[in-house]
Amino acid sequence: MFVGLGTVVGAAFALINSYLGPRRPGRMKADPYECGLPSEVKEDFRFGISFYLVAMLFILFDIEVIFLYPVAVQLKAFGTFALIETIVFISLLAVAFVYVWRRGALEWR
Amino acid sequence: MTPEAPHIDWAGLSPIVALTAGGIVVLAAGLFRGAWLRRYGVPLLTLLTLGATAGLSIWQWGEDKAIVSRALAVDDLAMFLNLLFCAGAIAAVVLALRDSSPEESGHGEWHALLISSVLGMTVLASAQNLVVVFLGFELLSIPLYVMCATNLRRSKSLESGLKYLIVGSVGSATLLYGLAMIYGATGATGFEQIATALSSQAGLIDDPLTLTGIGLIVVGFCFKVSAAPFHQWTPDVYEGAPTPVTAFMAVATKAAAFGAFVRLFDVALIDAATNWSPLLAAVAVASIVVGNVGALTQTSLKRLLAWSSIAQAGYMLAAVVVADREGVEALAFYLAVYLVMNLAAFAVIVARERETPFGDDIRSLAGLGASRPALAWPMTLAMLSLAGIPATAGFIGKFTLIGATVDGGYTWLGVAIVVGSMLSLYYYLRVVAAMWLSDVPVPAAREPVPAIAGGSPELDAAADPEDGAGQDAGPDRPVSQAEATAVAVLFGAATLFFGILPSPLFDLARDAGSALGLL
Repeated sequence: MFVGLGTVVGAAFALINSYLGPRRPGRMKADPYECGLPSEVKEDFRFGISFYLVAMLFILFDIEVIFLYPVAVQLKAFGTFALIETIVFISLLAVAFVYVWRRGALEWR
Repeated sequence: MTPEAPHIDWAGLSPIVALTAGGIVVLAAGLFRGAWLRRYGVPLLTLLTLGATAGLSIWQWGEDKAIVSRALAVDDLAMFLNLLFCAGAIAAVVLALRDSSPEESGHGEWHALLISSVLGMTVLASAQNLVVVFLGFELLSIPLYVMCATNLRRSKSLESGLKYLIVGSVGSATLLYGLAMIYGATGATGFEQIATALSSQAGLIDDPLTLTGIGLIVVGFCFKVSAAPFHQWTPDVYEGAPTPVTAFMAVATKAAAFGAFVRLFDVALIDAATNWSPLLAAVAVASIVVGNVGALTQTSLKRLLAWSSIAQAGYMLAAVVVADREGVEALAFYLAVYLVMNLAAFAVIVARERETPFGDDIRSLAGLGASRPALAWPMTLAMLSLAGIPATAGFIGKFTLIGATVDGGYTWLGVAIVVGSMLSLYYYLRVVAAMWLSDVPVPAAREPVPAIAGGSPELDAAADPEDGAGQDAGPDRPVSQAEATAVAVLFGAATLFFGILPSPLFDLARDAGSALGLL
């Protein structure tokens, strides 16, 4: 019942809009939406590869914090074990950080 | 309720810990400025890591326990396969000592990737849980995708890496989907629980969810072991990848994938065997046919070995189909034999790639019997062994495989193996003939000779006509290929040794085969 109603209403909105709505296509409208401003980006524009690198590194080191939360919550219960595990985890990430740093991935090119 | 710190069996975990620590050390060592450290220190550290892993695996031999909440099995099958991975990786490191791929992509990175791939293989070989199976596969595959592309300035290498990445990802996705279906059907991820669920709940074996899951898992695994309908990537990837990487990929990946294959199907899904064994048997026969027919017309040695590896995957799949202890024993034995004979062949290809302008073309072997017997003999033994000629390890391996299929009630699979081997004689003997029959290298289509000594067979012959035992091929020659020759001779000798005296390897394979607790 509910599923049927949902399907009908959804389909109706989608279809009726495209049949009844006014249609005035223009150059401006076909552009990708960028916060309502005219797009500055040209067709041959390419993102620097550095963006991807930084984004990936951000994800890596950002996730690190998420893994630390549960340990922080239960630190008392686990005691020394949790401390050692955390130290191992952080030192692995430290190695990764040193690697990234020495390889020059943090230099903006 | 206070959570308790888990019990950690460090002894059982030690091979994995050693690989992890070694990988990090190698990666860090690659950062130092000293050229000597990068060029020789990093491979040395890698060899140390792999040697330590092999040693720890031998130490854990006969332990037979389950660790990490029963997700990893430390049993003889896993330890046996660990030894194979370490052997394959050590050979790859030695063959890559003079290779351009670690040079171009960074020594630390190349070797760390190799170690992490071995780490994935050890995880996969002892996986007792669907999640760990997937984890192991990814840990194994992702470094390999990168390693295929480590000849950064050769477009074929990049193409190979990209192809492997895309095809491998499709295989992984299919596998993951299948694993999820099995979890959905049985409500368990542990192999033992899955087996219990399948044997206790009526109708679960023929449940569409289970069947779909099994089908998808078979497809995913076939991608990984390069079995017949999903084999198309193999020749291209093998040809394009740097040859040491190809050697490692060919022998170790196959061993790891078959280790997981046999654990998943012969333990967890054993009660559904009536449903999957016809499927796997068909895949095995298809692989044997496709692999052997595909190899017939190849002139590139790496492509030839790729097609032959498809056929060999078919032979080994037959052992998985049999699903008893004899089958697992035969599989373990054959995996070891497969490693030995393939590494011998690849070592020769590596050496000849650097000595001749022909790359891995079959012409690079012309007249090898006269000019470099130390390379020609291992290659000959490897080819005869791959074809299954008596007095080589390959014969004993095929013999046990066929014995297992006949005893397991799959005589027709045994017949397929025999017919496939007869077909394969044609292309294996062609390689042997190229080495021993034609004395003079084909002069046609000569590319300019590189300005290094050892650049062509003729130059070599002229410089050193009495080049007998090539192991110590003269310090006066700048490119002596001593290490590649040593690998070739070592594995060639092993091929012969296990063909005449197979009992040591048999004993190991028997221990490995009884690890699964099958009848």
